[in-house]
Amino acid sequence: MEHFVLPNSGHNFDAKSSKMGMWLFLYTELLLFGGLFLVYMLYRYANQDAFLLASFELNVWMGTINTIVLLTSSMTIAMSITALQKGNNKLAINLAWFTILAALVFLVIKYFEWGAKFDHGYFPGMDHYNELPHGERLYFYLYFFMTGLHGLHVIVGGIFIAIVIKRIKSGHVNKNRISLLENSGLYWHLVDLIWIYLFPLFYLIH
Amino acid sequence: MDNKEKNAEHTAEHEHISSYREHFGTWAALILLTLMTVFISTFGADLRTLTVATAMLIATVKALAVALYFMHLKYEPKIYRAWLIVVMVLFAFFLVMVILDYITR
Repeated sequence: MEHFVLPNSGHNFDAKSSKMGMWLFLYTELLLFGGLFLVYMLYRYANQDAFLLASFELNVWMGTINTIVLLTSSMTIAMSITALQKGNNKLAINLAWFTILAALVFLVIKYFEWGAKFDHGYFPGMDHYNELPHGERLYFYLYFFMTGLHGLHVIVGGIFIAIVIKRIKSGHVNKNRISLLENSGLYWHLVDLIWIYLFPLFYLIH
Repeated sequence: MDNKEKNAEHTAEHEHISSYREHFGTWAALILLTLMTVFISTFGADLRTLTVATAMLIATVKALAVALYFMHLKYEPKIYRAWLIVVMVLFAFFLVMVILDYITR
C-alpha cells in the first residue's frame, strides 16, 4: 500500500498519459481542419478561375512574414522545452515570452489584413461581397472561416503559454514536471502546422 | 550530487532532450522551404498545375519537419507514429469518398 495514490490528491501525476492524451486531441484537430480542407478542395476544383481571381486580393508578403513569424515562434517554444529540461528556467521563460510576442505580431498582421478586406467589403454579408460571383464568394467565405478558426487557435495557444510561464515561476512546472509546457508546445506546433497548409492554399494560388 | 544524478537518469530514461542546434537547423530548413514555395508560386506562374502540386509537396515536407523535430515525434514511442498513420488513412478515406461522391453525381 506504500504506493497507493488517492485520486485527485494532486500526486497522481502521469506525464506519459498526459502527453498521449494531448496527441489524441491533436489528431482530432487534424481531422477538424482536414474536413475544412476537403470543402476547400472541392469548391476550388469547381471554381478554379474565381479562386485565382479572388486570391489576388490577398497580400502575399504579409502572408510570408506571418509564416516566418509562426515558424520562428515554433522554434522558440521547442527551445523553451529544451531549456526547461536542462534546468534553465529563466531561459525557458524568456523563450516562452518570445513565443507570445510572436503570437501577438501574427495577430496584429492578421488584423491589418482582415481590416483591408473589411474596408473593401469582402466580409460575408457586406455589399461588395454580395455582388461578387459565386466562386469568389466561396473563396472569401472559406478564407474568413479557416483563417478565423486558425486565429482562434493562436489566441488559445498564447493563453496556454502565458499560464505555463506563471506555473514555471511558481515552480509547479519544472525540470522534472515539464508536461504542461510540453503539451502547450505541442498545441502551439499544431497551430504552426495548420498555417503551413493554409498559407499556400489561400495566398499562393497562381 | 547523488540526487542530481538520479534526476538526470530519470529524465534520460523518459525524455529525449533535443539540442538547441537541432531546433535551429529545423527552423533554417523551414524558412528556406517557405521562401522556395513563395518563389516558385510568384515566378513560376506558367506552370499552374505543377505549382499547386509543388506547393502541397513542400507544405508536407515542412509539416513533417515540424512534427518530427519540433514536436519530438521522432523520439516518441512507435505508437505515436502509428496513430498518425491511422489518422492519415482515415483522412485519405474521407478524401476518396468525397471525390467518388462528387464525380458520380
